Amino acid sequence: MEDYLPFVISGLGLGAVYALSGVGLVVLYRSSGVLNFAFGAIGALGAYVAWTLLEADWPQGLAWCAAVLAAMALSLAYGRLLAPRLSHRDPTIRSIATLGFALVVVGFTEWTWGEQPRRLVLPTDGGALEFVLGEVEVRLTHTRALGLALAVLMMGGVGLLLSKTRVGLKMRALANDRDLSALLGIRVLGVDTVAWILSGAFAGVCGLLLANIVRLQATLLTFLVIPAFAAAIIGRLHSLPATVAGGIAIGVLEALAITVPGFAAFRTATPFLIALAMIVLYRAGTRSA
Amino acid sequence: MNASILEGAMPVSDAAPAALAQAALAQAALAQAARRARRSLVLMVACVLLIGWAVPWFANAYWIKTLTSSLALSVAAAGVALLYGQLGLVSLCQYALLGAGGWVALRAGHGLGWPFELSVLAGGLLSCVVGMLAGLPALRLKGLYLALVTMMMAGGFQVVVNVTGFPDGGAGWLGRVFGSERLMMPRPALALSDAAYFRYVAVWLAAVLALIELHRRTRAGRSWALIRRGEAAAVAAGVNILSYQTWAFGLAGFCAGVAGALLAGGVGQLDGRAFTAGESVMLFALTVVGGVYHWAGALIAGLLLRAVPALLTDFGVNGYLAMIFFGVALLHALITAPSGIAGQLMGVVDAVRQRFAAPKDKDAAP
Repeated sequence: MEDYLPFVISGLGLGAVYALSGVGLVVLYRSSGVLNFAFGAIGALGAYVAWTLLEADWPQGLAWCAAVLAAMALSLAYGRLLAPRLSHRDPTIRSIATLGFALVVVGFTEWTWGEQPRRLVLPTDGGALEFVLGEVEVRLTHTRALGLALAVLMMGGVGLLLSKTRVGLKMRALANDRDLSALLGIRVLGVDTVAWILSGAFAGVCGLLLANIVRLQATLLTFLVIPAFAAAIIGRLHSLPATVAGGIAIGVLEALAITVPGFAAFRTATPFLIALAMIVLYRAGTRSA
Repeated sequence: MNASILEGAMPVSDAAPAALAQAALAQAALAQAARRARRSLVLMVACVLLIGWAVPWFANAYWIKTLTSSLALSVAAAGVALLYGQLGLVSLCQYALLGAGGWVALRAGHGLGWPFELSVLAGGLLSCVVGMLAGLPALRLKGLYLALVTMMMAGGFQVVVNVTGFPDGGAGWLGRVFGSERLMMPRPALALSDAAYFRYVAVWLAAVLALIELHRRTRAGRSWALIRRGEAAAVAAGVNILSYQTWAFGLAGFCAGVAGALLAGGVGQLDGRAFTAGESVMLFALTVVGGVYHWAGALIAGLLLRAVPALLTDFGVNGYLAMIFFGVALLHALITAPSGIAGQLMGVVDAVRQRFAAPKDKDAAP
């Protein structure tokens, strides 16, 4: 067991990001019925904004806020300008359309900032939490710890928002039946706006973390969130706690796969295998979506 | 009882001549439709063969190679269009299936020394089987979940093929060469030059398009239309959903596999890094942009995937601008032009034809 602990800890960092992305996807899907394939692209653009501002010697905090704001604005722009034109179509078409948006955003980002891979350096990289568990010394960089904390905090925040607030109630109503909610006088567009902004904020934070943990490259980041779709599938595109648990489990299992002889080279396929297995297990419940 | 039936029958016998005339009219219309369908099938095959015959006269070596890849990808796009256009199913793993077909063709060509046509068929058949397996969840999962599952499959394939690579004449099960030069897959004896291989691919494309078109015209096509209308309706009409839907996935997989084998033959080898999940997404997106309801859509999708980026590079335009353009085109196709570029072109052709047909009608009227 002690041999595996370092891998578990290092997997927690990436798992937290998967969980965050998964929550961002599920929150939007629940209220607006759109599964946002452009999630990673939006996050990547945010990370590039932060990188540019840091190069221009802006203070760290301001640069991060600008990144998240840029992601929120982009998400909102799609949600208000393009998504309503498809609101009468079925969820598949509405989600597939975000693939088009993803292509536009990735193309724009790569065209503007160029192809060479960069890494976003955060001040939290330097320090690390070091503690002894059992007999093994474990090291967790502050960035990964921050990601984990953010995942738990944001999940809790969104959970509270959905269950305790008026907006949350409306979002749940929209998730149940959009037309009926509109008839009851819920301002559908207003609630949609909140959902798109929230999802954009998640995308921005995930983009920053991934640009730091992996590297800053738009195409890479766009498809790096595919494991987050696996997490969302585990949550059946509906349950936030299951999505968070799924995301963290995927991250940990992916890290643990290094220790399996012969499988180490294929370990990045772990999220897909888990998602496929879950779909087979879930199939009775997923028929309607 | 008998009398009442007779009484009821009397007016019918009065009306019989009219009914007979109507039936004859319907029969004539049906025959005309069948004739028109046959003509459009011949026209399609002739068009593709004409392109295959004519293009090598105009194009230089570079463009012949690029257009060969375009035609090969058109074969795969035809499969994507079949699934999305006929059944409304979104499959995001067709480029991965293309890779699987290419892998088998390379393995058979290098390791077993099979003739090229046999390698292509082997690649097509394997992708057909894999496609059917990938389609099995679709019986349970509708819409969005199917897109997600196939995306996961494409992601998994990307990881695996990135590690194993494609066979290039080496020993062992994976057929990889280490240390020495990678071997090229031999082209068919019929088509050794680039121009001849372009024509060879065009013949395959015509054959596959005709195969799909014949499916659409017969029982399979009618069953697909019913399944798309609603499963309950299809079951009520006696359609076996399991077999027909799986068959559609298998056919689309076959298209992808053949395309992979043809691509492998054109270049001689394939690069494991080129088969990302993103490519599968691109293939789907550009097939929708090209148009899924008309065979020309597959041709246009092939051009968009390979020829348009090459053209932009020629002009010195950044390749990512093409990506932006493709994204906008997909949004446009989904929001305002569901039949894609091919549909819009056909609309123009129809409008022109009516314009020319109208004066003739006027002449005929008096």
